[in-house]
Amino acid sequence: MVQVVAVQGAAASCCRPIAASSLREQQSGLGRLNGRPQLRSARRLGLAVRAKGKAGDPPDVPKPRLDRAGGREWLQSILSRFGPVREKASNTTVLDFEKPLVELDNRIKEVRQVAEENGVDVSNQIKELEERAKQLRKDTYNRLTPIQRLQVARHPNRPTFLDIALNISDKFVELHGDRGGLDDPAMVCGLGSIDGVSFMFIGHQKGRNTKENIYRNFGMPQPNGYRKALRFMRHADKFGFPIVTFVDTPGAYAGKNAEELGQGEAIALNLREMFGLRVPIISVVIGEGGSGGALAIGCANRSLIMENSVYYVASPEACAAILWKSRDKANTATEALRITPDDLLRFGVMDEKVQEPLGAAHTDPMAAFPYVKEAILRNYRRYEGMTAEEVQLDRYSKFRKLGMWEEFLVAGGKNKEAREALESAAGATTAAGTWAPTADDAKFIEMMADMEDKWQQTLQTKQEWVNKPDMPAGVSQPGLMELAVATIEVQRQMASGEDAAVDDSSTAAAAKSNPNGSGSQLVADAN
Amino acid sequence: GLWTRCDHCGVILYIKHLKENQRVCFGCGYHLQMSSTERIESLVDANTWRPFDEMVSPCDPLEFRDQKAYTERLKDAQERTGLQDAVQTGTGLLDGIPIALGVMDFHFMGGSMGSVVGEKITRLIEYATQEGLPVILVCASGGARMQEGILSLMQMAKISAALHIHQNCAKLLYISVLTSPTTGGVTASFAMLGDLLFAEPKALIGFAGRRVIEQTLQEQLPDDFQTAEYLLHHGLLDLIVPRSFLKQALSETLTLYKEAPLK
Repeated sequence: MVQVVAVQGAAASCCRPIAASSLREQQSGLGRLNGRPQLRSARRLGLAVRAKGKAGDPPDVPKPRLDRAGGREWLQSILSRFGPVREKASNTTVLDFEKPLVELDNRIKEVRQVAEENGVDVSNQIKELEERAKQLRKDTYNRLTPIQRLQVARHPNRPTFLDIALNISDKFVELHGDRGGLDDPAMVCGLGSIDGVSFMFIGHQKGRNTKENIYRNFGMPQPNGYRKALRFMRHADKFGFPIVTFVDTPGAYAGKNAEELGQGEAIALNLREMFGLRVPIISVVIGEGGSGGALAIGCANRSLIMENSVYYVASPEACAAILWKSRDKANTATEALRITPDDLLRFGVMDEKVQEPLGAAHTDPMAAFPYVKEAILRNYRRYEGMTAEEVQLDRYSKFRKLGMWEEFLVAGGKNKEAREALESAAGATTAAGTWAPTADDAKFIEMMADMEDKWQQTLQTKQEWVNKPDMPAGVSQPGLMELAVATIEVQRQMASGEDAAVDDSSTAAAAKSNPNGSGSQLVADAN
Repeated sequence: GLWTRCDHCGVILYIKHLKENQRVCFGCGYHLQMSSTERIESLVDANTWRPFDEMVSPCDPLEFRDQKAYTERLKDAQERTGLQDAVQTGTGLLDGIPIALGVMDFHFMGGSMGSVVGEKITRLIEYATQEGLPVILVCASGGARMQEGILSLMQMAKISAALHIHQNCAKLLYISVLTSPTTGGVTASFAMLGDLLFAEPKALIGFAGRRVIEQTLQEQLPDDFQTAEYLLHHGLLDLIVPRSFLKQALSETLTLYKEAPLK
């Protein structure tokens, strides 16, 4: 007698491990029949006729899983979703200024082909053409304008964070979740080891084709992404992993949900908490660094930037729309904002430029990865001997001196003229003997000193309100930070004599503790 | 001029009376923008204000020129407000309680945060850490100053670092008072880092601009999007305090924290 088995019973008797089957379906796409997706519904299987056996009994022996993929592939499918791209980009993008290079390459190929067909020996001409191509490539990429560099930084084929991470690390595992109900595909965190040293990897992930870009939200994290990053940074702090972050984002996502979840607060919290971590943090800008969204994982001990990456406070399009009132002025804004690595090194914002292979990273990614790996390891080794306090102070001091200002009154930002006026000022002295440019300034300084005394007296009567933190004995004067910073700089210079060449190539202003900020060196350089 | 209009209800307001009413509209209670000097007068007891770093002045690191040169914009703003940059910092007594106060001024280039704002606020916080004082920052800003480029962005990190030492290491109180508007880089750094977040009613507080979000999502946003009440509803603020009550609220809060028995 034929038994038509009930739906539930069928599902129980011929069920597969849910994880593997659903993942395999994701990997290979749902089965298609007649062009419509065919779900392996229990109902279809349930109506199959079962001639023998009772409904609901599990099998006595495991059935041979002939349709399951081999062990490693199956493991890969659950461990990492980052495999080779299944849908190749429809066309490889060629930027405008790269077109002559591509034409030259095609011509060389043609010449080779013709020579093979006709059996003619044109090796001299080919060598000459190749030399010319190489020289042209070198010239082009050594003299990229800011606009061209921005195009290269945003190139669709530029290696993404996971490309780099999987190629520079011996082992890598991606971890997920902000433990608050959400994961964020735009922010990827994982543990890995480079040359045997374990690191915490955190970075923005862009997609490699349109479909992936939509999944990754174009590398624009939401608050859950930043909270996820913070969770992993605290995790690294607890277990002593140095952190290496990879910055590649147009900015934090501007959406209604993002605002409601607290986008500003998430970024702010990251900024503050990163200064409390005891492990060294190295940050590499591998693509574009978009404003606060990039800085939220970019408060590092050492900031590296790849040769053709950019870092900006506002995207040139947004800047043009706000300041020039028209998005068409994006090119002017790109030039004006000074977003290229050389400018950033000059300001002291970045510490080192990581070289890229000839033709930029998108042309030859495999050659780009060793440069990044070497730069990360070398910069990590600077911090190997340091204590937690030294690491924290190093990070604090790096950011403490950024900015450009003058201590004296400057009208309308014209500090060069003001400094010259200061040189030729008549000068006056206060009652205590401090020099001041004019008599009014002298009176102002005296007034300030009086107010300081009055305030100290008031404070003496209000001791119940004051919660003075414990300071080391004898250190209660302002300037504590500058003193500590200078000490660390001296220690570092003494300890790393072989790194002197590297330090010189980055801004020399960083070596001096400059009370007027790193930017004031620009005035000296410009003169 | 002698007269102005309320932004919210359009009623005509006589400036002298408006100032006496702390720049709150008589018609609808809408809180108009206050200059930093007026704010300090309303919060700090008379004759106790000691300003810091009044001479620190901005420069032109990028030699920036958009529709107007940055130096020109600075000169205009400095002449119009009498300040060197968009923030006033200092110490004083609030109802007899010693505090370190920083007030941003929206009238100076839209309250945008540049190197000087970053430096002054950082020095204020470092001083407060050293002396053991609570910090109160009144925020009003359109964001980071684009004319100073990447240096403005770094001020976010600089101030947050100083706040880490003040709040986490020295365990001192930092109250952030958010006024209208507080957007962009300031929201993404010190404005949202307060141990307590007070906001004025109907203040515009957000990270991305409303138009940007509408363009990204191609949908209309609710009218009360990014107002203080909206943020309160979504759990991002502690308290909404009307301006007339702000000084008393701060004073009572600080007293509560002083009376905490297990410090």
